[in-house]
Amino acid sequence: MNEKKGILEKTAKEYYLSGTEELSKQRYNSAVVLFFKSLIASADLFILIKTGKTPSSHNDRFNSLRNFRDIYDIVDKDFPFYQDSYNILMSKELAEVIKEDAEEVAGKAEITL
Amino acid sequence: MQKKSQEKQKLLFNENIIDVVQFGSSVIKEKPVNDIDIAVIYKKISLKEQLNHSQKIKKQLEKGFNLPIHIKSFDLYSLFDKGNFAREGILFYGKSLITKEYFVKLFGLIPKIHFTYNLSDLDKKDKVRFNYLLNGKKGKYGLLREYGGKIIAPGIIEIIPEYEKIFFDAMKEITPSLEMKKVFLS
Repeated sequence: MNEKKGILEKTAKEYYLSGTEELSKQRYNSAVVLFFKSLIASADLFILIKTGKTPSSHNDRFNSLRNFRDIYDIVDKDFPFYQDSYNILMSKELAEVIKEDAEEVAGKAEITL
Repeated sequence: MQKKSQEKQKLLFNENIIDVVQFGSSVIKEKPVNDIDIAVIYKKISLKEQLNHSQKIKKQLEKGFNLPIHIKSFDLYSLFDKGNFAREGILFYGKSLITKEYFVKLFGLIPKIHFTYNLSDLDKKDKVRFNYLLNGKKGKYGLLREYGGKIIAPGIIEIIPEYEKIFFDAMKEITPSLEMKKVFLS
């Protein structure tokens, strides 16, 4: 379990840092994807801490998060942008919103990005 | 049974919302529906606030529909942005969940579909069938009366967008010479 925790924390931080770099380069679609991946790594870490398991798919993740409504709402709110990121131009404002959400979920998983 | 339209539910929304619009396949009769597309149109507030409000609207709507809800947030700038691929669907087919009217009525417009057909190559039997289809036979309503369409000129009928598929499928069965135009009336 500790190894899984370490991997999720590392990936959450790595995606967040990469997202920040992409944001600074005005590559907003990439930034949105990376911040969302960071957010998901933190959400999975949160689920692992609370349940001892990690989800194997987005469906599984949503099911696991139903008992943790505040994180569920953030993931549910941001997931469509991740899905749309290959064919819709994302804005700086959106990337910044998802960045903040990644930070919030990391806080709930008790890690600092 | 799938609930494609919202029933017996009053939406609670705040003053920054211009409209909540249902669009996509769920507003076109007889179209197969897998989900409900919703656009929430905002006054100029931050994207973060838009997304948070939309999430609240989504939760309310989930009680009224039993299909997955896909919600998108727009202000008037992002709604009309060329990068918004949902733009035509929202403007032409979108129906307000607040007023129950077509969304574009807000801009003084009424969406209509004009079907132009040509029966000249059909044999007499099919011309009669086509006439019955539109106008009915022996007390049975035709499509025009049933769905509120009208003939606006010889060979041209006008209907509201939600019956597009019903008219198109039925008329196409009789004549291949059929053209559809989407228009806005004022």
